Amino acid sequence: MIWNTRNSTYIFTAPEFPILEKQNWLIHLHYIRKDYEACKAVIKEQLQETQGLCEYAIYVQALIFRLEGNIQESLELFQTCAVLSPQSADNLKQVARSLFLLGKHKAAIEVYNEAAKLNQKDWEISHNLGVCYIYLKQFNKAQDQLHNALNLNRHDLTYIMLGKIHLLEGDLDKAIEVYKKAVEFSPENTELLTTLGLLYLQLGIYQKAFEHLGNALTYDPTNYKAILAAGSMMQTHGDFDVALTKYRVVACAVPESPPLWNNIGMCFFGKKKYVAAISCLKRANYLAPFDWKILYNLGLVHLTMQQYASAFHFLSAAINFQPKMGELYMLLAVALTNLEDTENAKRAYAEAVHLDKCNPLVNLNYAVLLYNQGEKKNALAQYQEMEKKVSLLKDNSSLEFDSEMVEMAQKLGAALQVGEALVWTKPVKDPKSKHQTTSTSKPASFQQPLGSNQALGQAMSSAAAYRTLPSGAGGTSQFTKPPSLPLEPEPAVESSPTETSEQIREK
Amino acid sequence: MAAASSSDSDACGAESNEANSKWLDAHYDPMANIHTFSACLALADLHGDGEYKLVVGDLGPGGQQPRLKVLKGPLVMTESPLPALPAAAATFLMEQHEPRTPALALASGPCVYVYKNLRPYFKFSLPQLPPNPLEQDLWNQAKEDRIDPLTLKEMLESIRETAEEPLSIQSLRFLQLELSEMEAFVNQHKSNSIKRQTVITTMTTLKKNLADEDAVSCLVLGTENKELLVLDPEAFTILAKMSLPSVPVFLEVSGQFDVEFRLAAACRNGNIYILRRDSKHPKYCIELSAQPVGLIRVHKVLVVGSTQDSLHGFTHKGKKLWTVQMPAAILTMNLLEQHSRGLQAVMAGLANGEVRIYRDKALLNVIHTPDAVTSLCFGRYGREDNTLIMTTRGGGLIIKILKRTAVFVEGGSEVGPPPAQAMKLNVPRKTRLYVDQTLREREAGTAMHRAFQTDLYLLRLRAARAYLQALESSLSPLSTTAREPLKLHAVVSIWVQGLGPTFKLTLHLQNTSTTRPVLGLLVCFLYNEALYSLPRAFFKVPLLVPGLNYPLETFVESLSNKGISDIIKVLVLREGQSAPLLSAHVNMPGSEGLAAA
Repeated sequence: MIWNTRNSTYIFTAPEFPILEKQNWLIHLHYIRKDYEACKAVIKEQLQETQGLCEYAIYVQALIFRLEGNIQESLELFQTCAVLSPQSADNLKQVARSLFLLGKHKAAIEVYNEAAKLNQKDWEISHNLGVCYIYLKQFNKAQDQLHNALNLNRHDLTYIMLGKIHLLEGDLDKAIEVYKKAVEFSPENTELLTTLGLLYLQLGIYQKAFEHLGNALTYDPTNYKAILAAGSMMQTHGDFDVALTKYRVVACAVPESPPLWNNIGMCFFGKKKYVAAISCLKRANYLAPFDWKILYNLGLVHLTMQQYASAFHFLSAAINFQPKMGELYMLLAVALTNLEDTENAKRAYAEAVHLDKCNPLVNLNYAVLLYNQGEKKNALAQYQEMEKKVSLLKDNSSLEFDSEMVEMAQKLGAALQVGEALVWTKPVKDPKSKHQTTSTSKPASFQQPLGSNQALGQAMSSAAAYRTLPSGAGGTSQFTKPPSLPLEPEPAVESSPTETSEQIREK
Repeated sequence: MAAASSSDSDACGAESNEANSKWLDAHYDPMANIHTFSACLALADLHGDGEYKLVVGDLGPGGQQPRLKVLKGPLVMTESPLPALPAAAATFLMEQHEPRTPALALASGPCVYVYKNLRPYFKFSLPQLPPNPLEQDLWNQAKEDRIDPLTLKEMLESIRETAEEPLSIQSLRFLQLELSEMEAFVNQHKSNSIKRQTVITTMTTLKKNLADEDAVSCLVLGTENKELLVLDPEAFTILAKMSLPSVPVFLEVSGQFDVEFRLAAACRNGNIYILRRDSKHPKYCIELSAQPVGLIRVHKVLVVGSTQDSLHGFTHKGKKLWTVQMPAAILTMNLLEQHSRGLQAVMAGLANGEVRIYRDKALLNVIHTPDAVTSLCFGRYGREDNTLIMTTRGGGLIIKILKRTAVFVEGGSEVGPPPAQAMKLNVPRKTRLYVDQTLREREAGTAMHRAFQTDLYLLRLRAARAYLQALESSLSPLSTTAREPLKLHAVVSIWVQGLGPTFKLTLHLQNTSTTRPVLGLLVCFLYNEALYSLPRAFFKVPLLVPGLNYPLETFVESLSNKGISDIIKVLVLREGQSAPLLSAHVNMPGSEGLAAA
């Protein structure tokens, strides 16, 4: 081939040494297409030709090593790169990154600081420094670096990390501030939206929580976390059918998720399909045998089914995992009462009263038991304790108490000959003919009106990672009434036609 | 399938299948042996006869035989070898006069080869980079023998440590050498002037002064030393030079060079820099958190594919507009421009063998290909206006023609619940037996509970008793007394010698105390003499040094011819004491030799 060189100003002679960077572009193209085999072949060829001087080839080789999990090798290669061109901040950054991945956070910080000297305005260096400091538990320094990174250039990842620091420090409000800003900056990031929604949920700001979770689901209708959290909110509002429809999506994507089956189980519980509820909860329990929330729910459902012996086992298992919760002991006591083991029931109640701080139900149930045992004095003490809790709760929220509980309390009050309706706003004209003794084995239940904030606070959700409070859908105690649909050998699991027409209310 | 017609608005509408595909399959050759990138594909009317050809800068299998191929229809028209791997191919009009046949430019290594009428026309080489003056000075001194190799090495190293620019290859090679080789190297190379040559990484075209379809265009080159060069289309002189913070990988240009233009360069550091006519340096910067795999401008939106399997839309000022997730890694991207309908869309070839076409974030069409598509090109080919050319990972070539009736309609796939929502929940069923048991529990719950509790206490009691007994009679294989910290591993290795019924029993004894050796231990085997015979049923154990594992072997012969097996008890005793220190039971396997006989 003859090339016309009419305009070229010099005569081109073949270089004595091959150009080092000759195939860098090809290496890079293979690398970004994740065609690592082809990439390695070109790198090998290039390194042979240049006797190991081609910095970029070594660099990409190291990146591939790191992707393949050979972090130590990658570190060594990056160090070689740093020797070949000591002025490059990029090489130092990669050395630090490999050190970071090896868990040598202090060394990584040192190298990042070196790199920062070469390149002042790199958000990545500041961000990674911040992350290193998080692992070293130096949260103040970490915050400084992350804010630095945000000033240089805003990235979702930096926001997430900053939010994480605030969460680690237990500062929910600040974390929410950070995530709010992040959502403003990148409104379509489902992870940010979901996290913000969960934080609101944790704080009990349900409107906002639902809004953000809904937004997350709009952008990604199969987001596992968001669906579970939104579903658990619907559940607490009593929208069991809608929640179940949503859970189907998750059941398809993550069929082995314990929280999912727990929530599905409690949906069926809410729909009074107890056999299905037990099936689902048992599956959840099989998948996560050490999750006390699932055991709690199983105990609750079995109590409802009047299977007190089984309930006892689930509840005592739950107590073994979570020995610090009053409600668990109360449920255990209810089971024991029904199993005619009054002695142990009393001990369980004593423990429950000792641990519980705000649930009047514990005291009421205890009082009923004591009264039935003829210990009027102690019963009276518990009754008064209950009244205290009730008035406290009323001061703090506009909560309405469950009518069944109110009724029971009034009956007990009458039986104990204390002034009637001291605390109850709702005067219930109750014929006192039905005497207390009828309810030996039937302590009051505590079903709160659906939709109130307090009810949500007790909503069971193992979905949201931050939630701690479990509860049955709506109530935390045994129902006085026997279940309307006692048993179905083959529960109608499939939703009825009316259900399918119901669509989710998200935007 | 009538519902899923082209005007249908559900997700299926975006799928292409046999019946309602928008594409005609014009050609598919899985063995076409074309290995290339989208940057090396170009469509042009090279001969000015209205018949558009496909120009392929082919890397060859394994990147070994770079070739320039020109295809006409499904056939390769001409093929010529290239001196180096092609980085990019572009067609452009060089001058105004008739006939207006476009020239073909092929960037490869440090040169751009320009062809006219498919004949070599001109070769442009990148100018050499200025060497570091200090380095130059050092080599000049070496030339005049005023400096010894060792000093030279030290000086060069100090330059490398401090200087911004890299050294020449000659100096780098020199620094790698051993002391003995230096002298010869200096003598051999000292007369050469030191050179630094860079290579072209990417190339695109930019209209010179008119926005017309057939206006004269300049070549825009991106180089390995982080520069962008604009070349004059006729004289091939450098009209403008811009510098970037990193090496450019993809370029996207709009506007005219003489009026106003915007240049977006996706770089190796994962950033996209946007430059304008007057700026020598980037004006805006988009920081992706991953590497870009493609950069396409659709109207005023820059569409970037990233290695995180997503497409992002950005404005010309670097503001993020939208993000779309892909089901698989993006391999290549290109622009689809249908002039007749004024449509501009982005095509993305994915690793799962799909080619997806997006207008902004709306999916317009999905093409399923038999192999993952690695390069894409859309435009006029032959005499057909809307042709899609794809090459696959295995070197195949696919040509599809867009039907003239085809209209791309936004799939609107985001409306409606995900399909999984319609699926039934798989709730485990309960049997009638379960229900019966439930009823029973309800009736007799208290009794069940009591029986269970009683049994549980009894079980605990028995376990505690058995444990106590084991401790008292040293029945465990682990001695825990402070005086005799011993551990006995009894391992049976069975050796069937021919058909013979002989077993080899190996005991592993270990003294688990940290300091004291143990002396005066005995081993005793208890067994049914009717079934087994051992050469020594009782022997002394040598001194046991702490920590070491002592294997003690003995042979066991099975006497029974009925294949009966029994337990052999192993006791470790201390001299003068009748109670064993520890004991183990060995379950002997049945003698297969006799059973077979």
